[in-house]
Amino acid sequence: MSDLRIIDIEKRYQAVQPKNDASFMLRPVRLSIREGEFFSLLGPSGCGKTTLLKLVAGLLQADGGEIWVGGENLTNVPPESRRFAMVFQQSLLFPHKTIEDNVAFGLKMQKVGKKQRLKAARDMLEQVGLAGFGNRFPDELSGGQQQRVALARALVANPRVLLMDEPFSALDPGLRKEMRELLSRIQKDFRVTVLFVTHDRDEAFALSDRIAVMGDGQLRQVGSARDLYERPETTAVASFLGLRNILSGVLKNSRFASSDGTIETDVTKQLTDGAYFMVIRPEAIKAAEGNQLGHVSVSGIVQELKYGRGMYSLKVNAGNQLLECVVTTTQAEKTAVGEPINLLVDMEEVWFLKE
Amino acid sequence: MKKHPQLLSLFAFIALIIFVVVPFVPLILSSVSFSWRWPDVLPESWSFRAWEYVLNDGRTWQAVGISLWIALIVTAVNILLALPAANALVRYPVRGRWLFEAIIFAPIIIPPFISVMGIHLTFLRLGLTETVLGVVLAHIAPTLPYMFRAVMISYQTLSADWEDQARMLGARALPRFFHVVLPHLLPGILAGASLSVLISLSQYLITFIIGAGQVVTLPILLFPFVSGGDPGIASAYSLLYAAIAIAALVGMDAALKRYYQLNKAPQDLAKGGKP
Repeated sequence: MSDLRIIDIEKRYQAVQPKNDASFMLRPVRLSIREGEFFSLLGPSGCGKTTLLKLVAGLLQADGGEIWVGGENLTNVPPESRRFAMVFQQSLLFPHKTIEDNVAFGLKMQKVGKKQRLKAARDMLEQVGLAGFGNRFPDELSGGQQQRVALARALVANPRVLLMDEPFSALDPGLRKEMRELLSRIQKDFRVTVLFVTHDRDEAFALSDRIAVMGDGQLRQVGSARDLYERPETTAVASFLGLRNILSGVLKNSRFASSDGTIETDVTKQLTDGAYFMVIRPEAIKAAEGNQLGHVSVSGIVQELKYGRGMYSLKVNAGNQLLECVVTTTQAEKTAVGEPINLLVDMEEVWFLKE
Repeated sequence: MKKHPQLLSLFAFIALIIFVVVPFVPLILSSVSFSWRWPDVLPESWSFRAWEYVLNDGRTWQAVGISLWIALIVTAVNILLALPAANALVRYPVRGRWLFEAIIFAPIIIPPFISVMGIHLTFLRLGLTETVLGVVLAHIAPTLPYMFRAVMISYQTLSADWEDQARMLGARALPRFFHVVLPHLLPGILAGASLSVLISLSQYLITFIIGAGQVVTLPILLFPFVSGGDPGIASAYSLLYAAIAIAALVGMDAALKRYYQLNKAPQDLAKGGKP
């Protein structure tokens, strides 16, 4: 197996004193990425995700740790000899070379004969839906097409790992979706291991087998999209994933009371007593009255009503807590900003985390 | 508002005529006149004497050859010096960068005469005076700053991402330079080379001191005629000099265009195939 293993790789800032603890650009990271896996590094800008990617690529020199692929230690192998490929945010197509020559560049560096490498380039261009574009120059292509060429160029030499640094963030949303689908298909066809960096949650969720959420130069949590969204381990991960209904409170004798008094309810989950954060996904709240089994009733005042993609998103002021939830258009039509509303929280869908 | 661009281009045209074309008129007239003295507006009699002298003298063509040869070597050496220097100063955190830049740019500010007086003594000891090699070395000081500046600016506009991308595609240092860096720097190198050639061609004092009259370039040949000899011959030499300078510029420009055309050839063929 040729899994990509990242063992305690770390990077410090240059200018600061080495013994200073706050000087980490990237705290030691340990990750194992399976062969053929689509793995994403997700985090806000400046969290160290691009640093980690460049350390894996070898474009940055690590201050400690090792990179392995299968049984081969690549830590001291220069990037050009690692047989990794990389797609950047900009397509970085060589402007003075034709599309075909651009795609064939990696094979040319491996001294593959001209006929053979141009044929491989043409085949790869067909894969990304750009057959017949081979003789054009990069400036004659649109942004999306250029990024397709960059993808073809990265894949043509059959890399062990494909590294991608926010490759679609410069494209418009429609195109981005199209490119995601293309990448997803090609990744499965070629069974290539992908390490993908993005700050876009939807993008990471749509593409990845597993995701690592990063923040402040360290890994915060690794797991599948569903794991992360439904069972975040820290409030930082939860709020980065868009879960803003986080209520701090105390759990005692299987009863949770939020510190601002908004919610007080029985908890069926097996948890030890102590201080907890209760994370309520917006989808776990519905606008309804009455008592339902396993639900907690909360009342509040509608503060904001926004329409988006068939559903309304609501911000409800319940006590001192602002709750976000999504409701159907019919439900939204019954209420308005400033009016009171009753909500039901599904306790099955609620997640408790301890910090 | 609409009139402005027209007015502006009219002024530009007039300025071009006054400052570029008009100065050539007396030069041309003087080169084909027999005697042209004050207060005559036009020469009294015409003659191709000056041109015959200039073009038939073997020394003229020798001087043209040596001038171009020196300019060519100086420029080549400048490229070899400026590329690594600019690369280092732009790409790496060099301590005391300002000092290095100051040293390289100093010849623009300090009259080259001063440094050449000092170099002269050293060259005498090394036996480099009166040789083409000595003159070439002396020409590097006033020309390198221009080459360096042009290449440095080209380097500044080349993001390191390009080389990173080439590395990730398996390109080692040399292929990276030839496939990625050089094509980007080429226009800058050409701009620097044009300046380098022109400045080298126009050196008189440095060539005179180091070459000691044994290395005869076009300015060396021209100067005695300007300073009192024969204005007709001086004019003819000046025109010849201008023609060679322009030819060098046009030639380099054509070479660059040809380079780009060669690279774009596959595309043109493809386009020609399907009209």
